Amino acid sequence: MTATDPGVDERGAASIEGYAVPAGCCDELIEDDGAPRPHAAPLLAALRRFGPRGLLEAGLRRDAIFMQQGITFEIAGTDGARRDRPFPLDLIPRILTATEWTAIKRGLAQRIRALNAFVDDVYHAHEIVRAGIVPWSLIVSRPSFARPVHGVRAPGGVYTHVAGCDLVRGGDGRWRVLEDNVRTPSGISYVLENRLAMTRLVPELFAGHRVRAVDHYPTLLLEALRAVAPATDSRPTVVLWTPGPANSAYFEHAFLAREMGIELVEASDLVVRDGVCYMRTTAGLQRVHAIYRRLDDDFIDPLEFRPDSLLGVPGLIRAYRAGTVAIANAVGTGVADDKAVYHYVPEMVRFYLGEEPILENVPTYLLSDEKQRRRVLSRLGELVVKPTSESGGKGVFIGPQASAAEREQQARLIEARPERFIAQELVHLSTVPTETGEGRLAPRHVDLRPFAVFGDEIRIVPGGLTRVALREGSMIVNSSQGGGSKDTWVLDDEGAAGDLAPGTLPVRRPPRLPDVRYGGWHGQAQQQQQSALPAACGLAGSG
Amino acid sequence: MLARIAQELFWLGRDLTRAEHTARMLDGAFHADVAGVPGERGIALSWAGVLAVIGAKPPAPGEDAADATAVVPPHFGRAQIAPLLTLDTDSPASIVSCVARARERARTLRDVISTEMWEALNSFYLSLERYDLAAALATGPYSVYQEVKERCALFWGLLGRTMLHDEGRSFLEAGGRIEEADMVLRMLRVAVPGESDAAEAAGALAAGSAAGTGSAAGGREAEALALLQAVGGFQAYRRAARQSLELRGVVRFLLYEGMYPGSVASSLLALQRALETADAAPRSSPPVLRLGRLIADLELQRRTPETGRTLGEMLGRVQDELELVDHDIDERYFALAALAAVHV
Amino acid sequence: MNFAIRYLTRYDYDADVVDNLNALRVKPAANSRQRVDEFSVRLQPEVRLHRHADYFGTEVVEFEVSRPHRQLVVDVRARVSTAPAPDPPESSWDALSEEAYLEAGGEFLLATDDAPGHPVLLELLERTRAAPTPLATVMLVSELIPDRFDYRRGATYVDSPLAHVLDGGAGVCQDFVHLGLCVLRHHGIAARYVSGYLFATAVDGGPESVEVDTHAWLEALLPGDRSGEPVWVGADPTNRGLAGERHVKIGHGRHYADVPPIKGVYRGLASATLEASVTMTRLDGLDPAAIARA
Repeated sequence: MTATDPGVDERGAASIEGYAVPAGCCDELIEDDGAPRPHAAPLLAALRRFGPRGLLEAGLRRDAIFMQQGITFEIAGTDGARRDRPFPLDLIPRILTATEWTAIKRGLAQRIRALNAFVDDVYHAHEIVRAGIVPWSLIVSRPSFARPVHGVRAPGGVYTHVAGCDLVRGGDGRWRVLEDNVRTPSGISYVLENRLAMTRLVPELFAGHRVRAVDHYPTLLLEALRAVAPATDSRPTVVLWTPGPANSAYFEHAFLAREMGIELVEASDLVVRDGVCYMRTTAGLQRVHAIYRRLDDDFIDPLEFRPDSLLGVPGLIRAYRAGTVAIANAVGTGVADDKAVYHYVPEMVRFYLGEEPILENVPTYLLSDEKQRRRVLSRLGELVVKPTSESGGKGVFIGPQASAAEREQQARLIEARPERFIAQELVHLSTVPTETGEGRLAPRHVDLRPFAVFGDEIRIVPGGLTRVALREGSMIVNSSQGGGSKDTWVLDDEGAAGDLAPGTLPVRRPPRLPDVRYGGWHGQAQQQQQSALPAACGLAGSG
Repeated sequence: MLARIAQELFWLGRDLTRAEHTARMLDGAFHADVAGVPGERGIALSWAGVLAVIGAKPPAPGEDAADATAVVPPHFGRAQIAPLLTLDTDSPASIVSCVARARERARTLRDVISTEMWEALNSFYLSLERYDLAAALATGPYSVYQEVKERCALFWGLLGRTMLHDEGRSFLEAGGRIEEADMVLRMLRVAVPGESDAAEAAGALAAGSAAGTGSAAGGREAEALALLQAVGGFQAYRRAARQSLELRGVVRFLLYEGMYPGSVASSLLALQRALETADAAPRSSPPVLRLGRLIADLELQRRTPETGRTLGEMLGRVQDELELVDHDIDERYFALAALAAVHV
Repeated sequence: MNFAIRYLTRYDYDADVVDNLNALRVKPAANSRQRVDEFSVRLQPEVRLHRHADYFGTEVVEFEVSRPHRQLVVDVRARVSTAPAPDPPESSWDALSEEAYLEAGGEFLLATDDAPGHPVLLELLERTRAAPTPLATVMLVSELIPDRFDYRRGATYVDSPLAHVLDGGAGVCQDFVHLGLCVLRHHGIAARYVSGYLFATAVDGGPESVEVDTHAWLEALLPGDRSGEPVWVGADPTNRGLAGERHVKIGHGRHYADVPPIKGVYRGLASATLEASVTMTRLDGLDPAAIARA
């Protein structure tokens, strides 16, 4: 730890020249008057020492390392040819305080418990429907409502094993949930790789902060998968099922399989015999107890889904129904993160848990409701409209950025199929200083996707994936649309850090080790000249 | 083969392996230091711990070397220890010193090792000389340690491709393997609390949970992770052990696992094989016989669940035995020649 | 009426295949006007059967032949007795917007998206718009479709999109049902696809035993008269009218893909030839010996 005292000498000195927080937004590291927020002061001081040059050079090293390690994504160049680009990691971290994180963590755990209860309810008792809270017609109209698993209880009662909710922070500084993601959320590999890269590229920035570690995620995930695996054996076999190298998230699939030490399988590696799932190995069929699948329900089992597709493992749903294999996330969870169902999540928290939601939704309007629709259409220019069954920012309409013609076209789309859209209030995403070329810093908008793992209990890795819109003023953070990412730091409890500073730690006395030897012919000959007698024991000259 | 040549080859292997393991350990310590540790702050792979493993003297004037392993001044952190163990030419334990020694030896062995091996080692040495290592260490320690690891791997790779399977090769390999076993044992001994430390360790863990920052399990897991990262065995452990990260499992893996090339058991087995090849009469060779007993003892330990003896004690015993093997090697292969050297 | 049904399917593969997994939806449903007295599935090669009811309540029989084989025979036999359908309720359009109706209609109210804006479809919608009651609309649809389209085997495939039927002006029973569902749901009437067997002979007389195919018709949800429960009423757009005693229902769904009689996947580089036959024998009035033969 450095002796930087936040709030005193570093405050004024560390402010960034010409840094202007966009109107109506909250910057997470810089106050409105241009001074660093207290928790970010050591970082900004370190950045200042670093200078634009240091930042630029670190950026070049970053690109070289990412290219070498293959942490890249494909992008079409101006000539149309697709080539690999290093994943755009911005070297300025985003910082969350321990207090902030505790609230987010509790809110997420609550929300995920409610979503899990909802999935169970939708495929069994329909209590929330009977209570008149969520209409049955809405559920059956969701394309992700999975009829083949109706009445099938997932092993351990857990459906949403991995959840990644997208959080945003508005101009008022409050955190809100923008989207839930309980199918196959991706991005965790970037969280881990980003941290590793940061510790290697810019270790100086960590001085003065105690940052909570993230690299135990694979352990958490593996433990969760083992916890739900229906095995009598204490060492259940868990596999990760990838659609294959052509998938855009293949890097992550391979990364997680490697980190967890489990097999990375494709559909043709798996086979179901007599209601039990196996993988084909060189030693014959080996029983599989849990599958962490990274592909949609539609491609899981050609006997049950998508009759036009021969992808998948025939009979897998039968094995699942028989309870011989756990599938994570469970089949049919998509019904819970549908954008039209999102509206009801705060109600789910109240209904299933009897608690008030800790994290709010962004105000959302259902366009199938005539009254809401009319109000939305009258102020379309201020709102965001999203198709209910798309992801990755596809088909999103942003009112303030749309032309009159685009607004009219969107209104027509809504009138034709109102149930296919929702409208949301525009959130002025918070900003974080971001390197914008030549080592200069400017505010860019960010969101946050924390990752939660649900096995025996819900565990959340500190921080998550911060996505950043690299274009000035843009609020679209998807990597497919010019977004980058940042390392997300959750600070350790500020109060406790003093008590357990490394220097005052009870030092474990190392055992008495033999001295390290240095030897060789010449060293030996010298020693022999000094003392002629004991030949062999003179060898162990200590350093 | 000339005893002098044999001994130089043996120590060439040791110096290079020491450089590599020091680099791995420092890289692991850097990562553990910067990345933080889930739920627990007192980690085994501390800077003081690294210093203890290497047995290097902190650069405090007038201090006795024997004290170095015992107590490290509390202000000693990465700013002092990383440069000391990486680029201090005055410290014999530093990576540059190890590489410089290895290169000096190789220079006299140019007719024994292959040209490609010599060139690889020489350009390794020159590359460390050439660029501003201190600056590189300040901005990106990772790339410095990465280079050390890669250059060492290149040397051993070229040995596999280009060096004759003769006595010389056996001594070179023997040196590399005995050093590897020794370094891993040292690291394990520093990382695993012994009997006397148990109470203290428990105290530290309790302090951690009192501060409300996590569980003892989290801390042990972090230690295990740091250890594996420091020997470069994380991925191997995940694939071979198929169990969750916990300190005991990791220690057992690094000690016993025959499938993992960096384990103590694997190193000892390779050392034994190298000596058997080099020795004219391996059946009556004291180091080979002692190694045989040690390997059998390890295998027995692996198969019997620990009863009574703690892992700490076990590690101590293995290292004591290894020290005796080292002396046996000296006596059998190098000592007579050494006496002769004096009389010449 | 009492029927014996035999549904025989035979696949011949020109090379060995393995891991042949199949799901059958062939068992006649048990409901207020249908009773199943006997049901059996025999397989060659012989393997174990697994049964479960799917989301729509249809009994599914699953089996797998994992070892290499070149032939698969599925022999299904059933005995069923059916009762005539009660008279459909006459109710007004207003009842369609009542909560109870919408609740009961569920997913069967959702518009199908197969051929939006197709001129032929628009014409059908226009011509069925003016019917006085929902029941009249159902009747109209089941007459208009066979008027407007030719029943022609081979005109379409199992998974042909609706547009092919609309373009080509011809199809089979399954296509007619999909068309009917599209039109009815567009008018706010819940409608579902029904898979089953039809004893297709002239109404008076004809042979006691006929070779038929599996058949498809539809069921529309009509509000009950005088605030009674809504009821599902069968209508057969291939045969111009309501479904009756000769219709033996297997199950229903949103569309064909929810109730295919047989669905299977196998591994192997073989191509398969399929032979299938459905024989229905009317047992009423037959002497016991003849019944035993059937």
